[in-house]
Parts: sequence; structure tokens; C-alpha cells
Amino acid sequence: MTLFDVVFNGNDTVYGLTENAVDAAIAQHGADKAVGFPHTAYSLPCYYAVTGTKIEKLGDMKDALAVIKSLMTREKRLNDAFMSGVATALCAELIEALKYIDGATPYEEPCYGHLADAVIRELGVPLVTGDIPGVAVILGSAPSTEEAAALVKSYQAQGILVTLVGGIIDQVAEAGMKTGANVRVIPLGKDVTSVIHVVSVAVRAALIFGNVAPGDAAALMEYTFKRVPAFVNAFAPLDPVIVACGAGAIALGFPVITNEETFRVPKSLIVQKDVSKFNATSLEARDIKIKITNIDIPVAFASAFEGEIIRRGDMQVEFDGSRVDCCELVQTKEASEIEDHKITIVGPDVDEMELGSKNCIAYVVEVAGKNMQSDFEPVIERKFHNYINCIEGVYHTGQRDMQRIRISKDAFAAGFRLKHIGEVLYASVKNEFEAVVDKCQVTIYTDPEQCKHMRHEVAIPTFDKRDARLLSLTDESVDVYYSCILCQAFSPSHVCVVTPERLGLCGAVSWLDAKATNQLDPNGPCQVITKERLVDDRIGEYEDVNEAVKKFSQGALEEVSLYSIMEKPMTSCGCFECICGIEPFSNGVCITNREYAGMTPLGMTFPELASMTGGGVQTPGFMGHGKHFIASKKFMKAEGGIERIVWMPKALKEQVADRLNATAKELYGIDNFTDMIGDETIAEDPETLLAFLTEKNHPALSMEPMM
Amino acid sequence: MPFNAKSGKFSASINTVEIGCGDKKITIGGENVLPFYTFDAPVENAPKVGVEITDFGLENEPECIKKYYEGCETVVDMAKKAASFEGVDFLSFRMEGGDPNGANKSTDELIAMLKEIAAAVDIPLVVCGCKHVEKDAELLAKAAEAVEGKNAVILAAREENYKNVGAAAGLAYKQLVGAESSVDINLAKQLNVLLTQLGVDGKSILMNVGSASAGYGFEYVVSTMDRVKAAALSQGDTTLQMPIITPVASETWGVKEAVASEADMPEWGNQEERGIDMEVETAAAVLAAGSNAVILKHPESIKTISKMIKELM
Repeated sequence: MTLFDVVFNGNDTVYGLTENAVDAAIAQHGADKAVGFPHTAYSLPCYYAVTGTKIEKLGDMKDALAVIKSLMTREKRLNDAFMSGVATALCAELIEALKYIDGATPYEEPCYGHLADAVIRELGVPLVTGDIPGVAVILGSAPSTEEAAALVKSYQAQGILVTLVGGIIDQVAEAGMKTGANVRVIPLGKDVTSVIHVVSVAVRAALIFGNVAPGDAAALMEYTFKRVPAFVNAFAPLDPVIVACGAGAIALGFPVITNEETFRVPKSLIVQKDVSKFNATSLEARDIKIKITNIDIPVAFASAFEGEIIRRGDMQVEFDGSRVDCCELVQTKEASEIEDHKITIVGPDVDEMELGSKNCIAYVVEVAGKNMQSDFEPVIERKFHNYINCIEGVYHTGQRDMQRIRISKDAFAAGFRLKHIGEVLYASVKNEFEAVVDKCQVTIYTDPEQCKHMRHEVAIPTFDKRDARLLSLTDESVDVYYSCILCQAFSPSHVCVVTPERLGLCGAVSWLDAKATNQLDPNGPCQVITKERLVDDRIGEYEDVNEAVKKFSQGALEEVSLYSIMEKPMTSCGCFECICGIEPFSNGVCITNREYAGMTPLGMTFPELASMTGGGVQTPGFMGHGKHFIASKKFMKAEGGIERIVWMPKALKEQVADRLNATAKELYGIDNFTDMIGDETIAEDPETLLAFLTEKNHPALSMEPMM
Repeated sequence: MPFNAKSGKFSASINTVEIGCGDKKITIGGENVLPFYTFDAPVENAPKVGVEITDFGLENEPECIKKYYEGCETVVDMAKKAASFEGVDFLSFRMEGGDPNGANKSTDELIAMLKEIAAAVDIPLVVCGCKHVEKDAELLAKAAEAVEGKNAVILAAREENYKNVGAAAGLAYKQLVGAESSVDINLAKQLNVLLTQLGVDGKSILMNVGSASAGYGFEYVVSTMDRVKAAALSQGDTTLQMPIITPVASETWGVKEAVASEADMPEWGNQEERGIDMEVETAAAVLAAGSNAVILKHPESIKTISKMIKELM
């Protein structure tokens, strides 16, 4: 027998029962007898939602049966099985409605049966907000009372609403558990048809919260699939009726997880023999993510502790990447390779380390997620510093394989151990990167051999690969750029166009950061800008970019170029790290940075330059930019590039020297280019600067004038 | 050459939103011109003026307000009285006492009061929270339920609690959702987008884009409103075409110019006049910048502003 046969048989059985029940009811009460559920404006909600017709009297049920019959097509295609599932559910609703004839109260404590509209409105809000992260429908009897109670409790602990149908109701009662809407465990009824009361909740949620028009079955199913995070746990043995009901659940987008060896349908009908794993399997199948509100550690966790410094005398132990082997790493894995929330310690824990000792540590956070990309690894990793620093009594500096961590004596005395670092990393990554991380596990190594291995064989090659990727990321090699309008509160018409080779002018938003921000917060400040319609390659102008800039500046800006300081230059807000301004005597440009308080050969200091560069207006000849941009091959490429740089404050020059020299060598074959660039120790006025540049034979002198 | 006036009307317009129900319901928005530019095109719905009372009743009100509520013993009495002031179009009830950092009144207590008020007055209602995002999430969700069928404005959903407030007010109980952001066009827009993605109909959203008392960083408020209206009208940005409602009283009656007594500041003159002046100036300015409704407190301010609106329309 195929799965189709089972579903069809089950459906036929239920249909037959329903037909008989309706006929019997009509014989007893007459066709005009009123039917309906109490306290709902939606008649028989499932039937009404699917067909748009309200059933008001017994006679209507007869017509409804004909409509239901039309759904019961018998081709062996997936859709036929789904529709037969829906037909089964609608039959169940008719049967249940009959129980309520004459204002009867067919359900008694603890069972609820039909739920009133008011309950839906009340449950609907937390469902929409995610405060109720999911709805579990448990059907049948668990293999044992203990397993029943454990499963229900596991959902309860996650805030998931649990509805019970059949034998599990007695099992839960036997285990002495409280039930009721207030504890989010709702026994519906002992007959399998009572499962319709939870379907009715989902359906009415779609009508009330989703504005789905009754009768629009496609919109209904889309809503329940996308917005109602329900799933079914059906215990063995499954009879054809349950399987047919299950097909209905699947049609609404609710996966069925069972411990019976039966047919498998990927993502929809899942066999999980181990009942203790029902919870994890169900959550994964329905993509339910549980918010972590409470991190289980013996000390406080808050940003108030971020700046806390732990002195040597107060320190229990330290880990120091500059002396011994340490590293911190995020790695992307397949979902099947990760057990969510698993924290493993390899090597001695803090209490096995000598007081005041220096130790190795390597922690690897492995993540998996449908939207995870390896480009996000460094973005996540960079947050470790914040996370670990927020722990009371723990201090963290550095990154990659150069981090240093100290744990205070107080924290140690309070019971703080290595696994708590794992807890913090786990919870923080899951919470903050919810949009991309579905599963996460943490392994902490302190065994020196293992740390050495992790650092040299795993971490360093990963870092090298990432650096190579960053180097290979060019404006040409990517398909899209990103906007950043984070500072529009202060500078309303400014828009940064962030490209791989031109980071945001604040220096804080690289193309990868912008990409991650866009993924994590799709309505946030960083939006995708396509780059398909090139206008002018020389200055880097695109129609798409212009359209985006116009949109994001609310019409204040019409056109910007990416690579020119003279033609349609990009605007600046006020947060720029550096300002570059044209120096007419030498045909070059001077760059000054925020930290430099002195005079520049332009006759203006940083604040004076800032006042004319900022504010979101285009000022040809001046631009704000990040430090990192100075060594970019795209740095005012239209005007000849970095060859134009004639002056920088000494400290800035030293900071960018290596990268700038490398770019100059590559582009123009000039060695030690920075030696040709003036600074405040050489000149603060244009004449002296010009003399110096002439002596050094600076290339800018022989270039075309910029204006 | 003769002067030919050119109409500055736009092809886009602000959403028209009805508040309240029955005979006293009001309509705001709908205009396709800049604020009060009636010479460019007729403006069908004049901006509206609301009166504010809080759950503290007269407890924290200045003397100059108290005298107008003489004889009122309960907040419900005050609500009835307030609804009768000249120029009042709607009533705003602020559940200030809910703030956990303040009186921390229970949700049940405040909702009971709200229900009594809703039963006692027939003018449209605006229900304001206590400004504490977590408490408001709960309080305003319950408020939306309590005034079911009244088509009230629930003020407001913020970025931190828009799901709770939006789902309850906009989806479950079909009220109007106030979307509050803090003086930034992008945040205002983002919140509208988030609310509509949640399923709330954009046509049942009102914006509070943030406010301040005149002289207190007020230029930010004005330029934000200017830019919101410009984007809504000249660029046809549907995510910013929601009418703006601005609570003014809660801003102006907290600044020293309004509250310092004449004894402390003799050179500033009469305190009541100053308070009214601050309220009128601020309200006039936000209306000129694009607010479709303002919430005031002093009956004289209300009278003055509603007269101003009439004269300008």
C-alpha cells in the first residue's frame, strides 16, 4: 500500500462516518436545526475559511458534504493527497460541530474542545510577536507516561503552546502536570476529530490577523504555512484516519513528526524513532527559533561590565595569545553536523589551573543556518570581544589568535568556569544573529597540544583565506553595492555607497559589514544597490547608484560618482575619519585625520575642513573618507589615484604606510611612496611643501591640473 | 506680463483616516498640498485638536489647569468635562501612571479606568501609554482590547514593541495604530514598513514622528516633519503618507518656561500665560510643519489653536 492509499482510505473512512452522522442528526433534529460552535463569529471556521460559505443549519452540512466530496480526487499526486487531507479535516469539523447541537457542552475538564474567538485574539498576539514561538499538536499516546510528560515539559520550557489530542491527555494527568491555557498546555479532546479545534485556531488566526478573505484557500494555506509555526507530533500506532488528518496538516504547512516507521516525505512527514528527540526534530523541521532570555551563568552579564579591567592581583587565571597558543574562531557547518547548544570543554578547566597562571585557550563556535554565509564569520567573530567583556569579572582584549582573557578571583569564586564562556557565546550569537544562525555549538580547548593544533592548523589557515578573500574583493568582482544611511539623523541628505574598495567614510562599515547588516536587518540602514547600468567607467557612475542615492536622500542628491573627488563626488555626513582636499600648488591632495589637531598646507585645520565638507552636500575638491580607503586602488581613481597624495599627518602616514606603499608599487612601480609624501614635520604651508615635493620628484607635480 | 499663479498641488496625497465612530467621528489627512496651502488646492480635512487627561487626574496638574476641572471628582468626570471644552475634537487619555519607574500602576487598574472613560464620552479616543516600552507592550495591547469597536488611536507602537502593540491594535482589535519614532525620517519610515509587514494596514497607521517643546531642539522636529511631508507628497512615498499626530501638551508642560512659578521667576511674568504661550507656539509650529492632529491640555490653548486652524483653512 502506498502513502496515497493510506490517505485516501483514511479520508474515505472519515467521510463515510461524517455522512452517517449528518444524516442521523438530520433525521433526529430536522434539516433546519441550527448548528455552529459557541463564541465564534466564523461559523464552522475551517469550512468557512476554505470555501467562504457559512454553515448555519444541519441542511447546510449536506451541501457541505458535496463540496467536500469534490475535494476528494483520487489521482496519485501530492495535491490529491493534500486535498484529501483537507477534506478529512473539514469532515472532522462537521462531526465536532454536531456535538454542540442544542448548546450542548460536549467537553469537560480538563478538555477544552472548541476555543472561543477571544482566546484566539489573546493567543494570536503573542504568536504574531513570537512570544509564543510555536504550536505543538501532540496526537495519540507516548510510549510511556514519563516520555509524555518530558516532551510536553520541553515545549513548555520554550514557551511553545502545546495542544493535546487523545491518550496523551491521560498520560499528562497521570504525571500530575497542570494543564490549561495559562500554562500553555491545552488538552483538546480524546477523539481524533477534536484535533480540528487547533486547526480552527490556526485558520481563524489567518482570518483575524492575516486579513485572509474567507474562501481564498490559497491565501489561507500561504498564511498558515508562513505565519503559524505549528507542527504535529503523532505517536505510533498511526491509523489511516490519523494519516489522512496529517495530510491535512501538511497541506497547511505543518510538518508531522512520528515515531512510527512509515512513509517519509522530506520536510513534511518525518520519522523520529527517539521520542526524546521529538522536540529538536520538530523545531528544526518548522524552523522555530527559541529566544534566549536568560543566560545561565553564575555572574552578571551586562554592557555595564564591558569596560571592567582585571588587574593581575585580582586575577584567577589568564589566557594570552601573545605568549601561548590561543585563538577564537567561527566556522560554518552543515546543520546535521551541529547539535544545538552543545558545549564541549577539551582540556583542564579553570579550577584545574594554577592561580595566576597563563594558559592556552581556543574556542570554536560552529554555526549552521540556511542564510549563513562564510562572509559573516568574521562579522560574528568580531563581536566575541563585546560578549566576553560583558561578563562580570571577565576581561577580553584582542582578536583572532592574539586575544587575551582574564578571569577574576571573584568570578571564579562565584563558580564561573569555562563552560560559562561557552554559554555566553552560544546565547549571544543565537540572539544577535538569529537571522542567519539556526544552530550553534561551542568547543573550548585548553589542552596545549589541541590549542596548538587549532591555532596553526585550523584558525590561521582560515584567517589567511579570509584575508585573501578580502584582497580579492574588488568593486568589479561583486554584483551589488550597499547604501548606508546610518547617520541621516544628523545629516539628512547624506548617503554612503559602500563598495568593497570604498568603505563607509566613518571607517566602521565595510562592504561585508553592510552586507551582513542588510541580511540581519532587511529594513535597516543598509540596502542593496545594483550596479548594472554603467554610465561612466572612469568616474564610477551608475544609473542604478544614482537612482538609489536619489531615493535614499529623499531627492536631495541626483548623481554621485564613486571614484572622483571633482565630478559629482560622494557626500559626507560628519563622521568621516579623514578629509581629503585639493592642494592647487602641487596638483595634489592633502589628507588630514580627525586625531590631528594641527594646521595643514591647505591653510585649514580638520574642524575647519569638516565644516565645509560635511552636511550631505557635494563639495567638489573635498571628500570625507575612511582611513582604509587611502590605500585603495579606487581612491580618486578618476583624477589619477593615490599618486595625487602630497601630504598627510605623520601618524596617519605611518598607520597606512605599508598598504599605501604596496598599492603605489603595484599601480605605478614606485618604491616607498610614503617617503615622497609630506607631513607636519616637513611643512605646514604650501610653499615649503612644494619645495619638498620638488626635491622628492613627487609624481603629482607632473600630472594634469585637477581644475 | 500678468502674474499666473501656479498650483503647487501634488499628485500624491496623505492618507485619509477616520478616528472614532458614530456622529462625533473625525477625519484627518487626505490633503495633496503642503500644510495649509489651501490656495494650491482645497484641503478637505482640517487638522484636529485633542485634549489630554491622565490617569493621575488633577494630582500633578498645575493650578491653572485645575480650575477648569472644578467639581470633577474622578478621572471620568474630567473626561466628560474635557470633552465639552470649546474646540476639542478628540480626547487623549495618557496612562502615565503605568510606568514601572514611576507609580507603576497595574495594567488592570489602568484598563478599568480606560473602560469607564470610553463608556462616558462619545468623542474619538486616543489612548497613550506610559512611555516604558515593555509596560506599553502589555498595557496598550490590553487597551486595544478594552476599547474594541471604538476605532481608537493606540499611541504608540515603537520599534521595540511594535509587534505587540501592532498585532493587538492593528490586527486583533482593528484599532488605529500610532507609530512613534524619535525625530528621524528613516526611523519613521522603517517603523511603518515593519508594521505593514506585520500585516497592519498602512491606511490605519498614524505617525508620531517625535516632538519637543519649542526651543528644545525643536528645529529637528520641524525639519523631520518637513521632510516626511516632502517625501510623502513630492516623491509619492507610500510608506510615509500616514497622517501625523503630535502630542504637544506632554512636552510643553514639562519645560521650565511653563512650570516655573512667578515667585521664582518674576521677570518672566504670569505663569499661566507662559504655559499657554509655550503650548500654542509649539502646536502652531508643528501644524505648520505638517501635523494633522495635535494633543493639547490648556482649554485656552485648545480654543486658540482651533481658531487658528479655522482662520487658515
